[in-house]
Amino acid sequence: TKEGVTSLPICPNGSVNCQLSLEELFDRAVKLSHYIHFLSSEMFNEFDERYAQGRGFIAKAVNSCHTASLTTPEDKEQAQQIHHEDLLNLILGVLRSWNDPLIHLASEVQRIKEAPETILWKAVEIEEQNKRLLEGMEKIVGRVHSGEVENDIYTPWDGLPSLQLADEDSRLFAFYNLLHCLRRDSHKIDNYLKVLKCRLIHDNNC
Amino acid sequence: MKQRFISSVQIILQLALTTVGLTGQSYPGKPQIIRCRSLEKETFSCWWKPGSDGGRPNNYTLFYSKDSEEKIYECPDYLTSGPNSCYFDKNHTNPWTTYIITVMATNEIGSNSSDPQHVDVTSIVQPDAPVNLSLETNTSANMSYLWAKWSPPPLADASSNSHEYHYELRLKPEEKEEWETVPVGTQTHYEVTSLQAGAKYVVQVRCMLDLGEWSEWSSERSIQIPKERLPPEKPTIIKCRSPEKETFTCWWKPASDGGLSTSHTLLYSKEGEEKVYECPDYKTAGPNSCYFDKKHTSFWTIYNITVRATNEMGSNVSDPHYVDVTYIVQPDPPVNITLELKKSIKRKPYLVLTWSPPPLADVRSGWLTLEYELRLKPEEGEEWETIFVGQQTQCKMFSLNPGKRYIVQIHCKPDHHGLWSEWSPEMYIEIPTDFRVKDMVVWIIVGVLSSLICLIMSWIMILKGYRMMAFILPPVPGPKIKGIDTHLLETGKSDELLSALGCHGFPPTSDCEELLIEYLEVEDSEDQQLMPNHDTPSKNIKIILKETDSDSGRGSCDSPSLLPVKCRESRGLPSALQAQDVRANEKKGGKGSWEAQCTASEQKTLPCSSESAKSCTWLAAQLPSNQPAMFAYHSAVEAFKITLNTTNMNTSPVLVRNEENHQSLYPIAETVYDDVEKISEMENSKTDQTTVQQHNGKSPFLNPKLMDYVEVHKVRQDEEPALLLKHKENSRKTKKCTVPGTNKEYTKVSTVVDHHILVLLPDQRTQNTPVPQEPVAETSQNPRQSQAEKNTGYSTTAPSDSRRDTSGSDYMDPSSFMPSFK
Repeated sequence: TKEGVTSLPICPNGSVNCQLSLEELFDRAVKLSHYIHFLSSEMFNEFDERYAQGRGFIAKAVNSCHTASLTTPEDKEQAQQIHHEDLLNLILGVLRSWNDPLIHLASEVQRIKEAPETILWKAVEIEEQNKRLLEGMEKIVGRVHSGEVENDIYTPWDGLPSLQLADEDSRLFAFYNLLHCLRRDSHKIDNYLKVLKCRLIHDNNC
Repeated sequence: MKQRFISSVQIILQLALTTVGLTGQSYPGKPQIIRCRSLEKETFSCWWKPGSDGGRPNNYTLFYSKDSEEKIYECPDYLTSGPNSCYFDKNHTNPWTTYIITVMATNEIGSNSSDPQHVDVTSIVQPDAPVNLSLETNTSANMSYLWAKWSPPPLADASSNSHEYHYELRLKPEEKEEWETVPVGTQTHYEVTSLQAGAKYVVQVRCMLDLGEWSEWSSERSIQIPKERLPPEKPTIIKCRSPEKETFTCWWKPASDGGLSTSHTLLYSKEGEEKVYECPDYKTAGPNSCYFDKKHTSFWTIYNITVRATNEMGSNVSDPHYVDVTYIVQPDPPVNITLELKKSIKRKPYLVLTWSPPPLADVRSGWLTLEYELRLKPEEGEEWETIFVGQQTQCKMFSLNPGKRYIVQIHCKPDHHGLWSEWSPEMYIEIPTDFRVKDMVVWIIVGVLSSLICLIMSWIMILKGYRMMAFILPPVPGPKIKGIDTHLLETGKSDELLSALGCHGFPPTSDCEELLIEYLEVEDSEDQQLMPNHDTPSKNIKIILKETDSDSGRGSCDSPSLLPVKCRESRGLPSALQAQDVRANEKKGGKGSWEAQCTASEQKTLPCSSESAKSCTWLAAQLPSNQPAMFAYHSAVEAFKITLNTTNMNTSPVLVRNEENHQSLYPIAETVYDDVEKISEMENSKTDQTTVQQHNGKSPFLNPKLMDYVEVHKVRQDEEPALLLKHKENSRKTKKCTVPGTNKEYTKVSTVVDHHILVLLPDQRTQNTPVPQEPVAETSQNPRQSQAEKNTGYSTTAPSDSRRDTSGSDYMDPSSFMPSFK
């Protein structure tokens, strides 16, 4: 991006305080979150088509995401009203909450019967990219936050046993639900980041 | 005679016909009794159809007789049953009698009667259709009935109303084809059950007396049978859509209501909440819809939506519809679309499209990100070309066909989920053709200008024509002899004189003459040039000279005095180019520079050998100063390049070889010593290959001159040892080149003219006959291998200036060598 180019001269070789501009950081974060959501969305759709047809999983999937306890903005006004530091913390919290399940997802998804390669690599890719995004978000938070960064926002995930259930239907539903939640949260994060970027970088005039 | 008779008969007949035809009058046509009918068995009527009237007013008379009587009666009543009818009232009607009826038409000319009709009154009874049919429906105990009533057909004679009719009723649902017929009996009402609820029925009745035929069906009456009273069916939620990712609306298809007023209620619950809410707004989005405003819209939350249809009989609920508003965003189409034609620098028109996101969508906050896609096609085109443009709100379209009218549309979609909007309204843009015309104009102007320039050029040429002529066909000058005289006389050798003259002996070519002429002109400077290499102003040469001390035997080729000789040689052997090859091979050890000079000088011969007289003369003229010589050299190199370029240099070994040669020459000309070294190294390393390739040198790719040149060069290399020997001899004479003569034949050939000039006497065989190249190439191989040693030897020895000069002369004499190889 333009800003990235212009920021280069600020960082001559060997300079100590060389750092990316906030805009560049946001650009990268948004690209990453967009990518992660794209992957998770594709993965969910593939799984849905392949394993969830006619099983009515969607009705059961209501209200069972492990991150549901994190109160996140539910519409545009809420997203605009929440203080950006709080929103950033929320994003961090959601990202952190997914660290653990993503690791297990990447490994457990291998056990799904005839799991297509496209699902497998996406699970791995999402796990990696999520870590990267978390790093980037911590940088952004470190840059934006005036006070101390809260590190404690985090919701634990206890869904591993459900991914290992013997009953195939239950197990598939566990995967379905996890992927459904992943798609939702990755979209949340992507959406929040885009809002934050427009708010902090472009003064609400993207 | 017979014919005459026949024709006269015909004429008479025709006359008769025409008179009839003219007057148009004849007796009336035959009337026809259509039918006789009795409505109630007590009276009857008969109707007839008149025949042609014969052009005159007709009177119709109906006569009848009864089977029991002889007497003939006329119709009692022509009026009651209408025109052309006869009504028999009760008094004239006897059911036990058969009537024989005829109708006669009469006019002034004559009369005509119908066929008689036998009528039995009982068999012609057909009443009129019943009238006043009325229908009613009634529902009791959830069953529908149809109540039909009607009246018997009215009669003309109101007094006789005591007839008993039988009725039939038929009915069907309006949309069906088949009637259901019900016998009713003599009553004039009927109740139909087992009706299809909700259908509209059509009903007719007809009647019949105890004898005779059924009447026509009465006119239709229809009635709507009410639907059953049931609870409504399931409504269906059609879709939910959010146009801007802030609110959303759901629509449903109402259930069939069974004729009862039915109300619909939308209920929803949100993920994470137990409570069930009712639709907040049924009105905003129109009938059968529910609008969720911002307050009621949450994202990343699943809505469980149902629609309940209720009437007095009960209610029914739709299947639940699960909605996460995030995924149902479908924006409105983009707006403010503008199409603009612009011209690029190259005058090609291109289309600039700009648009704005739909007004509802709040793109600025980042809450909603839209991506766009546009499509276009020529107006008459079938297929759209679709282009995804991402988040931009403008797009440039190139390569549109001029003169066509394009249709453009744009739609948009949220970046992740959701649906494409509708396509925007069609926009039209016409790509003008005038751009092309302008191009054409430009080209025409260019063409005219260039042809003008050509004209001017040719005009100048003509003006200076005499000069050109002088160049091309110079007069045989006296000075030529003079020049030869000076040289030859100085040397004092008659052989050289002869050789010089030998040039003339050949079929007079412009080359030679020109050369000579030029030479003569230049002659004055010759002395200066005799030592050209030492003093050469060109940097190249200087450098070269310093570095190259070796190769005393070769002598320099540049000395202008050699030119005449060269010229001669070139004729005998078309090209002196072969010398280049030698140089390339010898370049080892920094000799390249030295050789470069040699090549340069030799190159000058090239134009000579080539048939272009111009270049040859030009070269000769330039010779006095070394720089021009170099220039000539450049040109030669370029020529080389051209030939090389025309062929693919790397593909065939032959070409490679050429390239090497070329390279060796070229860098020298450029005064890049380093390059020369490199090249020479390369060449050394490639010597084996090159020798092989030289065989191929004859391949058609190469200019024959080049070929010859190369070969000669090789030859010379082979002979260098011999050259050295000779050189010693020559060196005594100072500044004279010896012709290297490993072969005895060569020795014969070489002669030294003047101090600087070596004149070579070619074998007569060789002069006229083209030198066979193959043998030369073969011989060249062997010497090459040993050449490295020789080269080193050259480098070590410090060449005297005179040697160089002489060596050049040696090179120049390839023509003389060639025969020896034979």
